[in-house]
Amino acid sequence: MKHEEWKKISRIMSKRSLWMVHFCTGCGAMEMPPVMTSRYDMERFGIFAMATPRQADVFLVTGYLAVKTLKRVVQVYEQMRDPKYVIGFGSCTINGGMYWDSYNTIKDLSKYIPVDVYIAGCMPRPEAIIDSFLKLMDMIDKGEAIGWQKYRKYYDQYKRNQKMAFEYRLDEVKPIKEDDKNES
Amino acid sequence: MKAKELFPDAQELRKGRVRIELDKEQITDALKKLKENGYTHFVMLSCVDWIKEGKFELVYHMWSYEYKEHVMLSVKINRDGEDVVSNRELFPQIETYEREIHEMFGVNFVGNPRLGEFILEGWPHMPPMRKDFDTEKFVKDLYYKIPEVNEE
Ligand code: SF4
Repeated sequence: MKHEEWKKISRIMSKRSLWMVHFCTGCGAMEMPPVMTSRYDMERFGIFAMATPRQADVFLVTGYLAVKTLKRVVQVYEQMRDPKYVIGFGSCTINGGMYWDSYNTIKDLSKYIPVDVYIAGCMPRPEAIIDSFLKLMDMIDKGEAIGWQKYRKYYDQYKRNQKMAFEYRLDEVKPIKEDDKNES
Repeated sequence: MKAKELFPDAQELRKGRVRIELDKEQITDALKKLKENGYTHFVMLSCVDWIKEGKFELVYHMWSYEYKEHVMLSVKINRDGEDVVSNRELFPQIETYEREIHEMFGVNFVGNPRLGEFILEGWPHMPPMRKDFDTEKFVKDLYYKIPEVNEE
């Protein structure tokens, strides 16, 4: 069988067996218990929580991130093995939400790690969470959930942005050189 | 003895709420006096920035289970770096509040060895809870200016 076909099969398999890192931040984590337990029961879609990042596929960032939490989030994200997917959960990960003017929370998660699916809402209902999982599965199936590839490809840009947040200081943005682009 | 009897100039704000204004030299003695007279629960230490007066107000909250009374000891110090004596010997939990106020307002508590980085990590700017720290400007100049990842 050709490489492409294997890839397709592995995508079909992996979309039906998503393990989620058990890392909760922000208030959105409160919506996870109903999603995980018998009322909404996400296990029927093949999703369940995994205690270690190395064996997990999906990372749900469940809300606002202080810079200190972002450091841990990046660490956990980098520990996960490819392919890995990120769901940004709630308005705080999209634009800061009600913490838009807080000195210590980041505003847009996709500047620091690649996000595959965003869920709007403060906080999103369990239906929306399950809907986002279904959307993610669909994207995996079509090969559109490529955040983890972007992280490799634009690693230096993600690292630069993370560093600016961690140090609370803007660095000068260096223009990307032409030959750098061709290499990656 | 109730706080009103211990401190004649205490104001009773309403039933069960007493406010006492003190100089910063009197604070250790006052805490000791209250502790010996039934106000055994140190609730918290908070800080208010009165920027127009140029003062920080430290408020020591005490509670008595006996009298069901909440006593607030208020001390005003200058905003520009006036030291305060640490009271961690009297109530060990004060240490944590002092660390927080040191980090968020920059008040120096003499005698507390654990002042230093507490909640924030690697914060290089002015203590963020001071009123002259312009949060909105800071946010706009930092987080909103971090560039998007350029996918080309
Ligand atoms: S989006 Fe709303 S519910 Fe979610 S973390 Fe932010 S404030 Fe909390």
